[in-house]
Amino acid sequence: MNIAVLLKQVPDTTAKITISNGKVDENSVSKWSMSPYDEYALESGLKMKEATGGNLIAITCGPERTKKMLTDAAAVGADTLIHISEDKVLDSTQVQNLLATVINNNEIEVVLCGKQAADTNAGSTGPGVAEILDAACVTMVSEVSFSENSFISVRPSNTGTEKVSTSGISVFTFDKGLSELRRPNVRGIMMAKKKVIETIKPEELGLGEDSDRIILQTQDSPAEKEPGQIFEGVGEIPTIVSKLRNEANVI
Amino acid sequence: MDYEALDFYEVDSLLSDEERMVRDMVRDWVDEEVIPNIENACREGIFPDEWRVALGEMGVLGAPLKGYDCPGLSYTAYGVICRELERGDSGLRSFASVQGSLAMYPIWDFGSEEQKMHYLPKMASGEWIGCFGLTEPDYGSNPGDMITKAEEMEDHYILNGAKMWITNGTMADLAVVWAKLDGVIRGFIVEKNDPGFSAPEMKGKHSLKASVTSELVFQDCKIPKDRILPGVKGLRGPFSCLNNARFGISWGAIGAAQACFYSAKDYALSRIQFDHPIASYQLVQNKLSWMLREITKAQLLAYHLGQKKDDGKWIPEHISLAKMNNVDIALEIARVARDIHGANGILDEYPVMRHMANLESVKTYEGTHDIHNLILGRHITGIQSFTREI
Ligand SMILES: Cc1cc2nc3c(=O)[nH]c(=O)nc-3n(C[C@H](O)[C@H](O)[C@H](O)COP(=O)(O)OP(=O)(O)OC[C@H]3O[C@@H](n4cnc5c(N)ncnc54)[C@H](O)[C@@H]3O)c2cc1C
Repeated sequence: MNIAVLLKQVPDTTAKITISNGKVDENSVSKWSMSPYDEYALESGLKMKEATGGNLIAITCGPERTKKMLTDAAAVGADTLIHISEDKVLDSTQVQNLLATVINNNEIEVVLCGKQAADTNAGSTGPGVAEILDAACVTMVSEVSFSENSFISVRPSNTGTEKVSTSGISVFTFDKGLSELRRPNVRGIMMAKKKVIETIKPEELGLGEDSDRIILQTQDSPAEKEPGQIFEGVGEIPTIVSKLRNEANVI
Repeated sequence: MDYEALDFYEVDSLLSDEERMVRDMVRDWVDEEVIPNIENACREGIFPDEWRVALGEMGVLGAPLKGYDCPGLSYTAYGVICRELERGDSGLRSFASVQGSLAMYPIWDFGSEEQKMHYLPKMASGEWIGCFGLTEPDYGSNPGDMITKAEEMEDHYILNGAKMWITNGTMADLAVVWAKLDGVIRGFIVEKNDPGFSAPEMKGKHSLKASVTSELVFQDCKIPKDRILPGVKGLRGPFSCLNNARFGISWGAIGAAQACFYSAKDYALSRIQFDHPIASYQLVQNKLSWMLREITKAQLLAYHLGQKKDDGKWIPEHISLAKMNNVDIALEIARVARDIHGANGILDEYPVMRHMANLESVKTYEGTHDIHNLILGRHITGIQSFTREI
């Protein structure tokens, strides 16, 4: 079975983000990492690969720097690495089209990805790819397994959790699961180094530049928090109540 | 807040991709498994067994050794591993230094083919722990005069004597022991259940509390003939091991210094005295910039030495300089960091006092600071000054 895991490289959650000319300045990002929800998708993909003897294909779309993340995926067990090489920032529809085309070209039966990326938090990749592929899609799953020709996934429901069964090509978007993420080891790292990354240009997938329909106009830093106020003693209670009512609007 | 390693000159950008991946793997593990548990391990005076298992699973033990299921990484990668481990704790790095450079290395370099095949794979996986017995109660800086001796019998050797200050001793499955056979220093592999061998733990350390330190006692200890290391005679045997371990320490000390700098900077920025953060005062800034200066120099030293080691263009004196310098500045940085933390600096809530106490041992073991001065002095002048006879 061919298992695809879609990975996105994002600024590390601890990296400082600076805005210049109304856009996030990518050059100033000190550390790039695999988006955290994608790590759970990858872990689940590795488990499925081990259980089914399948082939795990890690796919990403982005500039040169994203290749490092594919090598990291190989260090924990990804078999095939595909890099859709694109320096421009594409809109979500364009990315979904590219990913879906690569998925179609590789006879993939199941697609795993994060429920959203830690940078944009858009959450559209999984459902968008499923739409193009005409595939079943289950979102916010914590685990997926394969048995008797169907995929069984677990996701939260209003009563606790629910198990969903899908057949045919299926797309799953991952929330943080219970499973522990595996660590690489030296052997994996040395094998990963030798692994060839298949690089594809968007043009080779027959997708041009014309579909730029979503334009990110500006980005801002979060508003600075006002400094906290400290009150001491019982005498201050009326002031606090009045501030909570009139300034903070919480009571 | 996540740890951000001080790397002012971006020396790590000179590492290979593989070396950086190994760094990140070890750094993440130290963040997740070591730092949350280290104070407890120190309080209880134990080396947690999970750490042995994890080091084996990550595949970092005996890092630069090739073949026999050993990792086969570069010496630079070995240095990086030591640095990341020692950022957690010098005791953790000591475990890895002893296992890789002092126990696996002599078997790898001087052992018979059978010995290599028998011991190395299980030591690389962490299943078997090794220790290294050179120092004796009366012979520390001067191991050449050791009194532990081996006698050759018909089908076995008999060892008699005692070793002291042996890292990993009590928990070790095997010990590489240096003893005199007919007056010549030879290496022997002693296994934990060999008759006449015991390894009681030494208690009461104020330093390297998460590392096990032991005596090794040999009372008519009987070992089979095939346990002698055939490939080396004389002090060259133990000294070759020490060269590799000292190389690792020259990197490791930087990790401890980085941890102290990181904590001191963070503390100085948040601690308010006289209405302002103490980081805004020139005296404190002077301390922090001095730390930055020394750490940056130490990083360049270690990196360059790593390249020399990987190219095979090194002499032991190069390693002496780096071990001596980097441990020296790390210890001083730990002391200054402790000072910046004020009273809080003595608490186990902060890592600085622990690193400081650890580094006192690191300054002494693997050749004391001054023994390295003497090694360099002999190199410069051609005159040895270890003893009074010239
Ligand atoms: C925690 C810990 C773990 C250790 N682990 C191991 C281990 O695993 N295996 C092992 O074999 N050993 C181990 N050691 C021992 C270590 O290598 C010795 O402590 C070290 O070699 C110094 O020996 P010593 O303590 O006897 O000091 P000494 O040799 O007595 O030195 C005392 C002082 O005298 C100075 N000095 C000595 N000779 C001269 C000279 N000629 N000129 C000027 N100054 C001199 C020294 O620099 C030092 O300041 C460990 C030690 C410690 C503390």
